[in-house]
Parts: sequence; C-alpha cells; structure tokens
Amino acid sequence: MKVKRLLKHDNTPILLVFLGMLVVVVLIEWIFVRGGDFGRVAFLRPMNVSNVLLQVAVTGILAIGMTLVMISGGIDLSVGQMVSFLGTLTAFLLRTGTWNAYSVALFIIVLGVLCQLFMGFIISRTTLEPFIISLGFMSIYRGLTYLISGGRELSIHGQFTFLGQSRINITPQLRLGMPVIIFLLLIISVGLILKYTKFGRRVYAVGNNENAAFLAGINVRDFKLLIYAINGLLIAIASMTLASRLGTGNPLMGQGREIEVIAAVVVGGTALSGGKGNIYGTLIGAMLLGIISNALNILGVSPHWQFVMRGVVIIIAVVIGYLSSIGTFSLKTLFKSRRAIEPDPVNPA
Amino acid sequence: MSSDLILKMEGIWKSFPGVTVFENFDFDLRRGEIHCICGENGAGKSTLIKILSGAHQPDRGTVYFNGEKVESLSPRSAMEIGIQTIYQEHNSFPLLNVVENLYTGNEKVNGIVLDMKTMVSKAEEILKHLHSDLSPFDIVGRLGSGAQKSVEIAKALLQESKVIILDEPTASFTQTEIEHLLNVIKKLAQSGISIIYISHHIEEVFQIADRVTVIRDGVNVLTDDAANLNEQKVISAMVGRDVSLFYDRKEVAVGETVFEARGLSGNGVTDVSLYVRRGEILGIAGMVGSGRTELAELLFGSKAAAAGEVLINGEKVDLKSPQSAILHDMCFITEDRQNSGLFLDHPLDKNIPIASYAKTATPLALPREDEKLARHYVDALAITTPSVFQKVVYLSGGNQQKVVLAKWFATEADIFIFDEPTRGIDVGAKEEIYKLMVEILEQKKAIIMISSDMPELIAMSNRVLVMRNGSVAGQLDKNEVSEENVLAYSIGGSLN
Repeated sequence: MKVKRLLKHDNTPILLVFLGMLVVVVLIEWIFVRGGDFGRVAFLRPMNVSNVLLQVAVTGILAIGMTLVMISGGIDLSVGQMVSFLGTLTAFLLRTGTWNAYSVALFIIVLGVLCQLFMGFIISRTTLEPFIISLGFMSIYRGLTYLISGGRELSIHGQFTFLGQSRINITPQLRLGMPVIIFLLLIISVGLILKYTKFGRRVYAVGNNENAAFLAGINVRDFKLLIYAINGLLIAIASMTLASRLGTGNPLMGQGREIEVIAAVVVGGTALSGGKGNIYGTLIGAMLLGIISNALNILGVSPHWQFVMRGVVIIIAVVIGYLSSIGTFSLKTLFKSRRAIEPDPVNPA
Repeated sequence: MSSDLILKMEGIWKSFPGVTVFENFDFDLRRGEIHCICGENGAGKSTLIKILSGAHQPDRGTVYFNGEKVESLSPRSAMEIGIQTIYQEHNSFPLLNVVENLYTGNEKVNGIVLDMKTMVSKAEEILKHLHSDLSPFDIVGRLGSGAQKSVEIAKALLQESKVIILDEPTASFTQTEIEHLLNVIKKLAQSGISIIYISHHIEEVFQIADRVTVIRDGVNVLTDDAANLNEQKVISAMVGRDVSLFYDRKEVAVGETVFEARGLSGNGVTDVSLYVRRGEILGIAGMVGSGRTELAELLFGSKAAAAGEVLINGEKVDLKSPQSAILHDMCFITEDRQNSGLFLDHPLDKNIPIASYAKTATPLALPREDEKLARHYVDALAITTPSVFQKVVYLSGGNQQKVVLAKWFATEADIFIFDEPTRGIDVGAKEEIYKLMVEILEQKKAIIMISSDMPELIAMSNRVLVMRNGSVAGQLDKNEVSEENVLAYSIGGSLN
C-alpha cells in the first residue's frame, strides 16, 4: 500500500528522471571515460557533489520564492535582474565603506521586500498580467544596475565572505558551502510551512480557484502581496549570497537566471496555471538542471552542449509530468485533445 | 403546412441525461409575426432556442422551414437558411467598431482588398432604420446595452435572416432603450421578418406580441393571439405543477430573528430589506437576472453595499468581506460550485477545512487534523467517494455539493445563504440536500435560499421574497406562497 502511494506521489516521476540521469551519467563515465575502472568515476565523489550543490544553491533559493509565487497563480520574470540589482548594490554599499556588513545586509533585505511589495501591489490590485508587469520591472532593475555600477564590475574581494564562501567540512571531501546550507534550511522550512500551516494551504487554494478562496474568507489581494514580499526576502538573500560567493557585484550576475529558476520550478512539477506543485519537486528540478553542465564537463563533451541538453531535459520532464498527472504513459494520449482524455467527472472510472 | 407559416416544429422530443425537457412539443411561427414565449425558469425556453439555432439536435420530431422539412440543423446551417439567434449576453467584438462587427466573417472584398466603401455605406443604410444616432465607426464595447443589441440585430439583417430569435434582450436596459428596441422589433415584423421574443417581463410581452406561447415543463400549454389573452391567463398557464413532485418537509419551530438587512443597495440591488429567524427558510424568488445572486453577494460581503445596514442577533455589523461574514457565522453556498465553491483539482481533505481556517487562531493546519475533519463530514453527510484523498473534480454533482456544504458546516456557521442549492443535481441527491437543510434548521440555524426551482421554493420556504429588477417586488407569507403569486410578482403582474 505504502509503495503504491509512493508511486502515485507527484514528485515520483521527476525523481525517477533525476535518478535515471545519474545512473546514465555514471555508466557512461565508467565505461567510456574511465575505461571500466569504477574507482576513477568522479561524478558521484563527495567533492563533485559539493561543487554541484554550490552551483545550484543560488538558483535554488530563488526557485523557492518562485514556487510560492507560481503555486499561488503568479509569475515573476524580474528575479534575474533583481539579483543583479541587489547584488551590485551590495557591492556598491560595501565599497563606500560607510556601512558595515550587517547594515548593508539589513538594507538589502528591506529593499528586496519593498521592491516586490511594490510589484505585488500592482499585480494584486489590478487584473493586469503578472507576466507583463514583472517584465517591466525586469527592465527597470536592469537599468538601475547599470546606473549604480556604471556598467563596471564592483569588486568586494576579501570582504563579506560569510554568506558565500564559508563552509562546513563534513568530511575532508564533502564540504557544505554556506549557500548550500542556506538553501537546504530554506527548503526545509518552506516545505514545512507549505504542509503544516494555514498559510501553506491557502497558497494552493488561491492558485487553484481565486473566487472560491475569496469566498472562503481569504483576503486574496493581501495574500498575494504577502507572497511577493516573501519572494523579495528570498531574492535579497540569494543576491547577497551570490555577491559574497563571487566576491564582486556586476550587471551580468543575475542575467537570464529567471529562466533557469522558472525551468527548475516547472520541471519540479509546479503548474504554470497555479494550484499545484511542491517545494521538494523544485529541489529535484533545480538539481536535475544543475548537474547537466557538470556531467557534460566530466564526460568531456563541449560545454556548449549544455543548453541543448537542458532544453531536452526540460521538455522530457514536462512530458513525463503531464503523462503521469493524467495517469497514463501512452504517448498516443499526448497528441489527443485534452478534453478527450480527462476522466468523466460524473462517472469516474 | 399553410403558406403563412415560416417555421413549424412538430412532435419534438429532447432529453438530457437524467431529465426530459421536451415531450411532444409543437410550435409554429407565422411570417412577419412577433411571437412571445413565456415560461418559468427551466420550463424549456433555452432548449427551444438551442434547437432552433442548431446547438442541440432534437431526439425525435420534425422542424419545417418555409414549408420544407429541415433534415438537421447545425449552428451554421441554421444561419444559412435564415434563422438568427441573438443571445442574452452580448455576442460582439467589443474592441472593434460597428462595421467591423457587422462584417467579421462575412467581409466584402475587391480582389484581396477589403471593400470598406461598400461595407460602410451598407452599414449606414441599415443603421438608419435601426439606431439612427449610431456611426459605423463607433467602437462597440463603448456603446450602451441597447445600441449593442441594435448592432447585433443589424448583423442579422445583413445576413438576410427571415427569423430572428431574441432571448431576454432587454436585460440591463434602461426604459428608453427598451422602448426603442420594441419599436425596432415592430418595424422588423412589418417588413416581413418573423420574431421569436423571449421575455420575463409580462408588460413587454403584451406591448409587442401578436401571439403568445407558454411553455411549462417542456410542453406547449398555450398558444393564442395576444388579443385573446391577458396577464392572468398567461400566468395561470405557466403554473400548475403536479403536487406529488413537491418535497414534503418537516416543520421546525421558528425562533428569534438572527439576521436582518435594512435598505441594502449596491451591486445592482436597490433598497432591499429582509430578515430571517432561527429555524426558518426565507426563500428568494425571481426570474434569472432579477438581482437575487447580486443580493446574496451583498449579504455575504463579497460585494460592497452602497447603502443600508446589516444586523446579526440584533447587533449592527459591518460585513466588508467574506472573511468578516464568516467570522459572524455566515456562509454562502454559491450557485456555481465549480467556479466559486470548490477547489476542483484538490482532494476532499484540502477542500473541507479551508474556510474554517478563517475562524481559528492558530497559524497551523495539520494535515492529520484536516484529514480527520474531512473523514468526519464524509461520514456525516454520506459523501460517496473512494477516499478523502480523491480530487473533488471526480465526484458527482450531488457529492460535490455536499463537499461545499461540509466546508461550511466545518466553520460552524449559523446563517446559511444557499444560491440554487440543487442545481445540476439528480433527484435522489436533491432529497438528501433537502434533508440536510432541515437538519440545519433543527440546530436552530437560519437559511436564506435563492431558488429558481418553483417546487423547491414552495416546499422548503417559510416565507418568500420575490425580486424583480434588483428590488423587492413582493413578500409572501407561508399561506400566500403559491406558484401563481410568486410568478405574478416575478414577471411584474399583480396578485389576484
């Protein structure tokens, strides 16, 4: 019975894709790259795992906020440029030398929340599309970043290293970087909040049926505002972590990251239409996309293939997620009209 | 078929799963006549329109058009032979101008270029007769309801329709717009076009009808010249159901007033006062579009009232949102459970507790507790489902309605507003819902029930308030509640 329920869990298909990919990569490396010598397989070594996790962490933190936004029926295209903006501003403020690191961190957090509150205010008070509104904000942040930095890279080498560069060595090989620790702690807390609090249940309710949520006593407008505020908090944390890890702030640090983040969330099983998804799916989605460039590197394939591979993985994951959500794995159904394969609501099979 | 008939329907049968709408229905339409159709909500008026416009096929029976048997009607072939339906809701392209609306899908061209000149002059010519102050270049979405309806009629004329069906065309019209439209319709009829006019407003019917047909439970019970009829005759033809269909409900002792509204206005409702006592059902009757749901939205705080006050247990309260209504022990079972009652893609254990969160102080919502709550109500309301983890989209209409009820029972509500409590539910499940409503009354709670289902309204209500055009047309006490009286108030007639 337990096994059956596990198999029906929303995250099972994507987890299987992830594990399948690990196996394939290991097999290819073992047989073709290491000539059958299993001892030399590098892919699953603690050191490599630590590196992959570190590369995934910032996108992962952003994906947590995006998961909340998307389950509740919204979307935010501005995250990437906002990371550039807040990250560059962090570097800029540290370089002026008038504020200490704590004041800068506090300021960036408050600013991050305010930025998203402003956008959330427009989105929740109007019927305008979050897609377009956040697209506008994306451009605004991009401009602000260039204005702050003058288009240059602002180095903070040697300062503000705690968030990005400190780490805990579990074994000499397996080192958990601070970004990874922050990411995992946030995943666990948001996971618990989504599952065990009223707030969590309401995120899903608002995303699935706004009307019914409103009539069930949820102040939908303020609720959406709250979600964007949380998103702002997470973006601020991610931006500072990235600036700290890179030791610099520059206009390109977050560029294009919104696409990675949305891809991770969608691959993780969150519906673009809202009402469905969970944070552990997002974790797997982020990991799945994160290992691609690492795997190609180890297998000695040109790194330029990574974008092609990532696209293929996104499409495969979404197809599998869709097929499993309708409870069939026949490819034929994929090409039938949606209506025809939905179970009859009056006479369920 | 005599030559003065343009349309004739003979022995039409039509049923949908679980319900027979037409049994041996006959109807005919003369050339150039205005034929009004009356009937209660659910009598079969919409089905008649849908058959004539080709949206539904009859199970049996024959339709003749212009003396010829019509083999089968599709929306396209209906339009091609000249039957044009103008629906209650506007069916236009609001961002396009009048000419573009008139010719979309039917454009005049010169080679591959649009022939604007011809289209504009043709449009002007037609508009001159219909609505002289309209310009072909007005953006349709910015026009008033009356003018938009005229554009749709103009489109029907452009397609050289011989029969125009108007379904409840004057909803949301001002008085001058109504007068204007009725004049236009008379002109059309004089030019030889036949009109089928469906209306809930008896005075409109007698203003324009040449003949009147009354449909009751899918049967043509009366067709006669308007000159031979009067309001009373039409109303008494509309009513008269089999009493054995009525649910026989248990009486419950009536207590003190729990909910009262005074002079409530806003959201299309004007100056409505009402009260409901513990242990009783206040029925709200009225034709579709009379402002009943809009009233319920005001009562529940989901729309803001412009004026008036609400008292709960004798104390004045400010219901500014559903949230505050829930905190005052109210609940609202909406008419459209799929769009505003349920989270269809979520299972029962996520649907049932959601509204009760508004009432508890803790920020936590433990899945185990939610599951227990859901199990409790699945048992208590006998909801048929494989488990509480089933998505509600897969439940039957009756069971879905029970999930909505469970959601509100879980909030321990005191004042229940039901909007069409048994819409789209089969007979057996209906009776179960009625039993649950009586149980609510036995717990000394109160119910305000909007219903279009006349037997339901009469059998269940202690008192009935009849709405018309957004305000109260009349109130009926238990001994006055009858089909005739409810109907008389609903369509603007007077009591015997």
